[in-house]
Amino acid sequence: MNHTTYKYSIIFLIEEKHDDFLQFLEKTYELLSSRSDSFEILILDNGTGYSMKNYQPRLLNLNCPLKAFALSKRTSQAVCLKGLLKECHGEILIVFGSHQQITEDSFIHLLDSLDNGTDIVSPVRQNRVDPIFNQLQSRVFNSLVKRITKTNVNDLSCFVRIFRREVLAETELYGDMYRYLPIFAERRGFKSKEVECINYQATSKTGLYGIKEYLDRIVGIFSLYFNTRFTRKPLRFFSAIGFIFFLIGIFILLYVFAEKFLLGKFIGNRNSLILATFLMVIGIQSASVGLLGEIIAFTHGRHKKEYVIGKKFDI
Amino acid sequence: MFTYLSIVVPLYNEEESVEVLLSNILKVSAHFNFDYEIIFIDDGSTDKTWEIIERLQKETPQLKAIKFRRNYGQTSAMVAGFDHANGKIIVTMDGDLQNDPSDIPLLLQKIEEGYDIVSGWRKDRKDKFVRVFLSRVANTLISLTTGVKLHDYGCSLKAYRAECIKTINAYGDMHRFFPALASMTGARVAEIPVKHHPRKFGMSKYGLSRIFKVFSDIFALNLIIRFSSTPLKGFALCAIPFLFLFIFFGILSTLAIVHDWTQGKATFFVIAALLNLMAIIHLLILGILGELVVSTSDLTHTQMPEITKKVILINDRDHNGTPWTVNHNVIDNFELKRQS
Repeated sequence: MNHTTYKYSIIFLIEEKHDDFLQFLEKTYELLSSRSDSFEILILDNGTGYSMKNYQPRLLNLNCPLKAFALSKRTSQAVCLKGLLKECHGEILIVFGSHQQITEDSFIHLLDSLDNGTDIVSPVRQNRVDPIFNQLQSRVFNSLVKRITKTNVNDLSCFVRIFRREVLAETELYGDMYRYLPIFAERRGFKSKEVECINYQATSKTGLYGIKEYLDRIVGIFSLYFNTRFTRKPLRFFSAIGFIFFLIGIFILLYVFAEKFLLGKFIGNRNSLILATFLMVIGIQSASVGLLGEIIAFTHGRHKKEYVIGKKFDI
Repeated sequence: MFTYLSIVVPLYNEEESVEVLLSNILKVSAHFNFDYEIIFIDDGSTDKTWEIIERLQKETPQLKAIKFRRNYGQTSAMVAGFDHANGKIIVTMDGDLQNDPSDIPLLLQKIEEGYDIVSGWRKDRKDKFVRVFLSRVANTLISLTTGVKLHDYGCSLKAYRAECIKTINAYGDMHRFFPALASMTGARVAEIPVKHHPRKFGMSKYGLSRIFKVFSDIFALNLIIRFSSTPLKGFALCAIPFLFLFIFFGILSTLAIVHDWTQGKATFFVIAALLNLMAIIHLLILGILGELVVSTSDLTHTQMPEITKKVILINDRDHNGTPWTVNHNVIDNFELKRQS
């Protein structure tokens, strides 16, 4: 890409107020200044309402290109990053949250792991310090994602990611998909790598995840499941669901009818009969939604190419 | 000079066969008296397939190749081939030596007779019984439901007029249904028996989920072919059985209330009738939504490629009473010529 003027663009995406942010920023600055590569810093306040003015004096002390943006309202991380892509000029993008999640040594190690054959590296935090309950949830979540996407990802909760500019430019990212960037990047044919990192102890201690966090992850799992497998073939998904409902309905119906004709039971006012019919109708409805999905995929999705070409010969 | 023929071959981990394949194709193409190209699509192979292609390319100027970043499946590989093909006719074939390139001239001959798509039919299949049986069921089902009668949809060896196949823009496992999809806009389809060699390397999987997927795909295919320009009609058709059920349960519930079958309690029949009504409404709403979806699309799927609307014969005779004949030997299209 011709407009990359720096080696690194460091992006701080501030999603929550954090007292140690400036300290973290300065520490990162020092770390990168000690290396010979050129870099720039971008800060995006994603609607936390915390005035940049408070940061300004200390930000001006940093001796490197720096841009700060603030959004009036919280938007999705994907939107933020896609927007920042136009503003940043680095060859390699480093994304941080508002506090330090991994130690300095780990960070340097992570940065060096992005070698020629790799397009995106993400950390896997060792000796995590957040509550056991969070870790448990995280583990269940990650193993579910692993199974669904058939990729080897171990820590999707960590915000830190280092990737090449093309990864963000060419991956279709929207909504809450930033978390799954390594997965979507792999689907676009980029090489992803995970590196073991040490969890930074001082600022990583957080409270228990709220209900919202859990809800987010459950919804995330479902959308990931659908997104990675059925966007081109929606009927496969909906007809499978419909088929199961329909089958259960038929089964109950047969049972009730058997009771009537073999045992002579009166069935006109039985709840199970209503349940059976209800399940069958749900089955049909689910399958028909799939049909609509197929029409959408065919009329609107056909022109989106599924493949990404790596190399060409003579063409 | 323009390229007449493009041979598109998707390859996935075929390091054992790619070299033999190319030499087989070249043996046949040595007799061609027109320009042609061979396009290999490496579908993200993890073995040495691409290295071999790179080596072969130096010796064979007709060979072009594309490598995917990762494995995207046969449909995508074929579509990539179509997108990059320059030929007026495109022939697709398997990369695992099951098809025989010596059948290509036969396919071309059939195309020249005026068909838009010519499909190979592995009349003498060298596969296991279960596989042959399952694919026969699928073929019969596709033929019956879509009206495009072919014995062997699964055969990769097919020839297309470029215009007919490029406009499809296929995705997700659609490669089996190309002839049926192309028939949407009027493509003329024919089939000829071709040779089949047993698979030498690798195995293919047939499980319950795959059967389910194929059935689901056939259903979707029919919907797309028949109703992708009139979705409301399709959904309304789906609603008809429920309409009958609704009427049936409606009559029964009236009778039940009149004759007091259930001692005044909410009867099953009333609820069943309402549920069916719900299903009808749901389907109609989806149909209307479908109309919205179709009308907001670019409508390319309803447009005929130029080739399929070429006039074959308007009238037996012109104004002077001289008969017209169809010239089958013209490669490009049908052409009307006056009998001298």
